[in-house]
Order: sequence, then structure tokens, then C-alpha cells
Amino acid sequence: MKQSLATRLTLYASVILTCAILIFPIYWLIVTALSQPDQLRQLPPKFWPEEPRWSVFGKILEERPILLWLSNSALAAMGAVTISMVVSVLAGYSLSRFRVRGGDSLGLFILTAKMLPATLLVIPLFGIFRMTGLIGSMWSIILAHATLIIPFTTWMLKGYFDTIPRELEQAAMVDGCSPLGALFRVILPVSAPGLAATALYGFVLSWSDYAYARTFLTNAQGNWTANLGITTMKGEYISNWADISAAAILVALPILAIYLFLERYLVGGLTAGSEK
Amino acid sequence: MRNRLKSLIVGGVAALAFSTLAPPALAQTKTLKFVSWQKDERGVGDWWASVIKEFETKNPGVKVEWTKVERGAYADTMTTLFAGGKPPEIVHLASFEFQKFADQGWLEDLSPYIKASGLNLDGWAGQSSCQWKGKPVCVMMLYFGNIFAYNEDMLKKEGLSPPTNWAEYVAAARKLTKDTNGDGIPDQFGTGHETKGGGGQYLSELMNYTLDAGGRWTDANGKVTINTPQMIEGLSRWKDVVKNSLTPRDLSAGETRQMFADGRIAMKLDGPWLYPIIQRGKAKDQIKIAAPPFNPPLGGSSNILGMASEIPADTKKLVWDFIAIATSDKFQTDYATLAASTPPSPRAKTEGAKAATPHFDLLVQTAQAASKAGVDRIPKGLEIQYNEFAKMIMEEAQRMIIQDLDPRAVAATMQAKAEAIQKQ
Amino acid sequence: MAGGRFSLDLARPSRQHWLGYILLAPAVLLIAAIIVYPLFVSVDLSFQNVGIARLDQPRRPFTTANYERLFGSPDFWNACWVTLKLILIVTTACCLLGLGTALLVNNRFKGRSLARLLVAMPWAVPEVIAVVIFAWIFDSSFGLMNWIFLSLGFIDKTINWFSDPTAAFAVVATTMIWKGYPFVSIMCLAGLQSIPEDYYAAARVDGANALQRLIYITLPNLRPVLGVTTVLVMLWIFRDFSIIYVLTGGGPLKATQTLSIMTYEQAFSFFRMGYASAVGVVTLVICVIAAKLMMRRAPDTL
Repeated sequence: MKQSLATRLTLYASVILTCAILIFPIYWLIVTALSQPDQLRQLPPKFWPEEPRWSVFGKILEERPILLWLSNSALAAMGAVTISMVVSVLAGYSLSRFRVRGGDSLGLFILTAKMLPATLLVIPLFGIFRMTGLIGSMWSIILAHATLIIPFTTWMLKGYFDTIPRELEQAAMVDGCSPLGALFRVILPVSAPGLAATALYGFVLSWSDYAYARTFLTNAQGNWTANLGITTMKGEYISNWADISAAAILVALPILAIYLFLERYLVGGLTAGSEK
Repeated sequence: MRNRLKSLIVGGVAALAFSTLAPPALAQTKTLKFVSWQKDERGVGDWWASVIKEFETKNPGVKVEWTKVERGAYADTMTTLFAGGKPPEIVHLASFEFQKFADQGWLEDLSPYIKASGLNLDGWAGQSSCQWKGKPVCVMMLYFGNIFAYNEDMLKKEGLSPPTNWAEYVAAARKLTKDTNGDGIPDQFGTGHETKGGGGQYLSELMNYTLDAGGRWTDANGKVTINTPQMIEGLSRWKDVVKNSLTPRDLSAGETRQMFADGRIAMKLDGPWLYPIIQRGKAKDQIKIAAPPFNPPLGGSSNILGMASEIPADTKKLVWDFIAIATSDKFQTDYATLAASTPPSPRAKTEGAKAATPHFDLLVQTAQAASKAGVDRIPKGLEIQYNEFAKMIMEEAQRMIIQDLDPRAVAATMQAKAEAIQKQ
Repeated sequence: MAGGRFSLDLARPSRQHWLGYILLAPAVLLIAAIIVYPLFVSVDLSFQNVGIARLDQPRRPFTTANYERLFGSPDFWNACWVTLKLILIVTTACCLLGLGTALLVNNRFKGRSLARLLVAMPWAVPEVIAVVIFAWIFDSSFGLMNWIFLSLGFIDKTINWFSDPTAAFAVVATTMIWKGYPFVSIMCLAGLQSIPEDYYAAARVDGANALQRLIYITLPNLRPVLGVTTVLVMLWIFRDFSIIYVLTGGGPLKATQTLSIMTYEQAFSFFRMGYASAVGVVTLVICVIAAKLMMRRAPDTL
């Protein structure tokens, strides 16, 4: 595609400018984390600290159980995503391939469940978990996160499976496969990108939850997820923005890493759904 | 792919199993949960740490799990914990918060334990506030009077001496709020108050001014007395201070204390807990302590220690052991030194404290002044609804400042809303 | 084994649907347990005068007092208004920004994959982290924003971002826009990929310029994607709790108290779970109606 120099320059300039503005908050987080705390209570702000305090990360790791928080978030996410994926693969496949009585209404219900505000469900879930003694346990948020994830993943997977021609399973079953076997041996491998995208989406949903963690896990310090831990730092008596920013970076790192790693699947997975 | 799916499932299940199995493996040690906003606080936090250490030494095999919850969210968080059926066994609450918990039956009646251990609570400062429906449901941990701290150098620079009444105070605050480095933004403030946070603390800050003006939230019978000329005067004083930004805005109490300790704020009214923070600040040599320019000073009961009622009997014995240690003569004496505050126990020896805290007599003085005037942050008749009441007052006071409302109208609104809350 | 028990003719899906039921069973059971049942409990609670929800105790008598109180409460209508404002502003901004960035990075240039990565990065940043970032940038005393505005001469006195209702709303909106646009961007990018090159080639041959290509080819083809995305963004704003709760707590003076925040405050601050459930149920109903209205425009893609 032939582009004039002016067009090229404008394009590059706009891209660089746009990216710079949009990523600036993340950059600012890094700058704040590395600044000396008393320099933060001064204007004008420095755009790069004079003596970057790289030791802040070590300090924070020592003072706060950040690794514990992260592993709790990971645990909750893995548990919730595992449950959700197993359930939604089966359900999505069923909704895609079979005409089940009540399937339409179930589909509609799943849609509605997407709209449920967490704050609505948190009240009855609080009562239920209280009755079953699960308040403070990881299971409470694993199950609660599953309520967040399943509506989305079921629908995403149904849409994804819809794009896979039925001939594929037909062929497999003609060759002597059972329908479930066809699902596992033929459909799933083909849907790998879609599965990855859906799992990633579910993972991000679980990781970003705060409401449920805040309500169910307050007393169980050992089970705090990363989001909950960070907000206790923010409400801290003396807000040390440098420390909080450093902790924030550490907490955001894993999910950003996962995002970077799986980003190509994300666009690919979503694209596959809209290609004819 | 099937294998990958399988290993993912296996991995997930294993992780879950591990997480649920791991705690029981460590269940050899019994754990008591203790939640407090004072954890990590200089002075009183150190004192609690010493109590915990003593308790764990005396009770091998029992650990105290100490969690911090910030003051702004404390009431909400504690209520959620109790409502969720997983309360901390050792209950630490502000003196104006515990009533709702007692009302729900969540706090254990301590009389059998007090009797059995022979703890003498006669003359125990503020203990009368710990009675709920005739039973002691907690032990008072601090009964205090506010102190007034000021940065002598800053005042001298303006040719001011420490104020002795409201007029001098506000005049000094005005003079002391300025821009010292010429960039057009004030970076030095006359005084410092929390203006962003929970209702309880906001109410306390506001009360510094309303008490001096003679206003009270309710009278001795619990009737709401907000729409009075005295309270209106108090509200307009608060408005004066905050609206003219004589205090930095949008900061929490802890942040203002730190700013004061570092020499950015000239005067500060606060409880005895301010002192250890000052000691670690940059301006510590310029800061002096005096009696508050207001009469009566803010003060009264501060915080209480109690026991959750819905816990097993043997756990209750352990919790009482903890309370007994905290209320023992030795630790009450240590409280005076470590926390630089007036211990409630009449048997605490405070001579040693005076060495560490030169203004100790002043603390005793202001606490007595507060007690004499019947000052307390607990509004009689609104104890159970305190959380809602405090939030309402904070909101209306903020509205007064943001929308520049007449304090008379605001007082009337507060009166009406307080009465509505009381009726529920 | 052609034919036999397991032969399944998917061209005639109405047969053998027992397998379909079995496959659906786990999902149905799980959803029933952790979504449907709690939903019913919520509706049930909304008709009781309940403080703290203790499900193991007998039900309180049926009453519509919560709903009466709700509709007569100025706080409720304020929350509706705040929610509406937020939805309008944030959704529009997210769509514009998302579409714009997608169009931008859809071009071919060196570093395109990096640009795509960067543009969508805020999506992966956890909401509470976004709050930490923006709370600091908008700090009243030492935040960057005040300094920028002062230096540029927009204001002559620092803005108290969190004490001023309008300012606090702006902070919340900004944070949500930053967090929300990447999703639109990603979806639009995916949608743009699926528009065949030939359309554009043909249009160019016919002499259409960039703007005309945008209006007559790109936008119409993106309509389904944009439709779906808009609804999803709206639903996200409706549901959001973390950003607003941690940033402003709903204040000051309830300027940022959406229905979601109000539900939480009533439930866990004032412990009026019956009333809170009523607010929640009404929120849900509004949500469903709004989504259905939007859905009419893009029926099969949702």
C-alpha cells in the first residue's frame, strides 16, 4: 500500500502520541514507586526521580506478604477458571450443538446473569456462606468468582463452537468416535485459541474481583487476594504513595505478564468468532 | 490438547486441595484473632505488641493473629466480620462503636470473669461507659483528654504566642497558613484535621470546635440538641477553618499527623497518641505541648477491649487471659510509658512515664477536665446508630462547606436527620 | 462402528438430546446453586424487613416497605441519576476512544504489534491498581493533575478533587474510561480484521477518500461489534464496584454513589440487607430492560 511521506509521518506521530498518553498513568506509577517518599510531597513533580529507589521493591516484599497475596489471587483464579471452563465447555457445546428443551431460556438466563451486579449477589452469598461456615475460606471466593465467570465463558464458548462446522464431529463419529470423544479429540484441539481466550478472560475476571474478596475475606488475613491487600495499604494511616505504588506494580505484574503472553490469542480468539 | 486440559484440571484440583489441606496441618497451634486499627501505630502499637508477646509466652501453643484494619473502614469491617459469624475472638473497638455489637448480643458479659480473677475495676477511668444493660461487656482501655501541640518556631516567626482561646487560635491559624516557596500554592498550614475518611474521626475533629462553643449532640436524656445556637456557632467555626483551607484538604488523620510532625502544619489538636508520632518527625525539636485553647477539651473514652460471645468456652478463657494481661498493673504502668497516654487503671504507676513523656501531668489534667465536663464522643441516645449518625453529620458538614450553606440551616437539617435516625 | 447406539446425526439435532441435557447438567446445577438460588434469596430478602441476613432463622413477614421507601427516597433517585450520567459519559468516551485507537493501530506500520499491546494494556491492569494510580495523579495537594492545570493556566487555585462533587465525578469517569476503552479497542480491532480488503480496494477504485471509506464501509460493518461492545461496557459500568468504592466511596455528598455502591453501603455499612436487596433488585430490572432495548439492534451477536 503506497503511502505518502506525510501520511506516514502523521501516522507514526499519532500512534506515538496516543500510546504515550494512554500508557502515561502506568509510567507515572513506576516513577512514583521509585521516588523518595518525602520528595513526593513537593511540587513541581519530577518526571524521573533523582535517585531512583530500587530498594523499595525489596522493602515492600519484606513488609507485606505480597507473594502470599499473589498466590492467593492465583489460587482463586485457577480454581474459579478450572471449574468454570469445565462447566462452560460442556454447556457451551451443548447449547451450540443440541436443541435442548429449555436451552433457549437457559441461554437467556445466562445472559441475564451477566448483568447481575456483584453487590446484589454479595448479600445472599454472604448469608449462604455464613450458614455453611465458608466465610473467610478460599472456597467462598472461588465459588463467588465462578458466578462472575460462568455466564461470560459459556456464552463466549457457545459463540465460538458455533463457528466450528458440524462436519468435523460428523466425520469423527463416522470413524467410530462417540460424541464426547469427538468433543475431546476433535473439537477442543481445534478450538484451542478460543479456549485460551476464554480462559484468559475468566482469569482476568477473577483476578480483578474486589467486592467479593472484600466482603468474604476480611478476617482471613492469610487468604487475602492481591486486590484486597493493596487496598488495605491505601487506607493506611500514613499514605506512603511510593510504597503503595511499588506494591501496586508487584501486584499488577503477574496479570500483565499473562496478558502479554496470551495477547495474540485474545485477538485471534475474538476474531475467529466473527469470521464467516 | 486433551492432555493439556487434563493437566490443567489436575493442577487446579491439586492447588485447591493443597490450599484446603495446608491449614489443618498447622492446626497444632491454636490461634486467637485480634483485629485493631492501632497495629503498626507508634507508641500504642508497640504496647499491644508487648501484650501479645507476654500472652504467647504464657500460653505456648496459642498464637495471636493480629490484623490491621484502617480506622476509616473499621466499623463496617468489624460489623461484617461479626455478621459473617467469624468475629475476632479478641474484640477491640472504639468506645463509640461497641454499643451496636453489644445490642446484637455479640459481646460477652465479662462479670463472671472479672469476679473470678478478682480484677478491681473501681476507679477505672471511663469504665462506666462499658456497661450495657447493666452488664460490663468490655474494659475501657483509655480515657483521655486532648492535647494541643504547636510548632514554636513557626509561631515565633509570625510573632505569635500560643493561643488561649478560639479568637486567638483562628487568628493564628490564618496567619500561619501561607505559601513559603513562592509557587502560589500554600504549603504551610495553620492547623490540620482529617477531612476525608470515616464518620467517626470526622466527628471527633469537628467536636474540638463545637464543644468549645458549648454545643452537644444530645443531652443527658438522649434528646437531640443540634439545632441550638451553641452548636451553630461550633459549626460555623469548623466551616471557617476548613473552607478557608487553614487545614490541608482531603487528608486522613494519619497524614495530617505526619505533616505536623514534619513541620508543615503549625498547630494540632489531638489525643495523647500524637506524641510518639511527633517524636519520629522532622520537626520534633520545634514542637511543644500545651493545654488546648478550648474549654472543655475534647476527650472521654477512647477504645475498649472485649470478648466475642459466639466462641467456645475454652477459647473464652484464653481471651480473658489476654484481657487480664492488658489490664494488669504491670502493663497498665507500661502503657503510660510506651503509649504516652493516661492508663485507665488507678493502680498504674505513672512516675516513670513522666521521664519519657514530660507533658504527662498535662495529659492527666486534660483528661480530668474532659471528665468533669461530662465530655464524650459517645452521643447519649444514639449509641446504637452511631455509625449512621456520624456519617450523616460528616455529610452535612461537608455539604455546608462545599455548597457554602448557612450553619443555621445545616444545624436544622442535622437535627431532623438525627431524630429520624433515632426513631428507626 | 457406523450407526449403532452412539450415532448422532447432528443435522437433525432434535434427536438424541439426552446427551445435550447431560452436558448442560453441570452448568445448570452450578448456576442454580450459586446464581439462581442467591438471586431468589435476594428477591425474597427485599420483601422482608431484615437487618442482617441470617438464612438459618425463620423468615420475617412479607412487606413492601423496602420498595416504598426506595421509591420515595431522594438518595435512590440520586443514585439512578449518577448511574445514568456515568453510563452516558463513560460509554460514549470509551466507544470513541476505543474505535479511534483500533482504527489507528489497524494500519500497517513498524511496531504495530507493540502499539496494539500498549493500547490495550489498561485492560489487564487490575481496577484497584488503576485506582491507586489515579488517586495519586488527582491528589489535591501534590498530584500531577493540579500541577498540570496550574502550569497551563486552566486554574489559579488547586482543585480539591475529592472534596468537590463535580471534580470527584470527573476523576471517577476518567479512571473508568481509561480502564474501559481497551476492551472496545480490542473488539473493534477484531471486527476490523474481518472486513474484507476488497471492499476498500473497490471503494478506492471508485474514488472514495479515507473519510468516506470510514463512513460507508467501516462503520456499517462494525455496527454489530460496536453494538455488542456498547452493551457490555454499559453493563460493566452498572455493575462496577471496585473503582468507585475504593476511589471515593460514593462521595462526596453521594456525587459518585451509583446504584451498585448504594446497595453495598446499605447492606454492609448500615446493615439493612432487606432494603439493600430491594435496591439491588431494582438495579437488575433496569439493567435487563436497558440491555434488551440495546439488544434489539444486534440480536444474534449477543
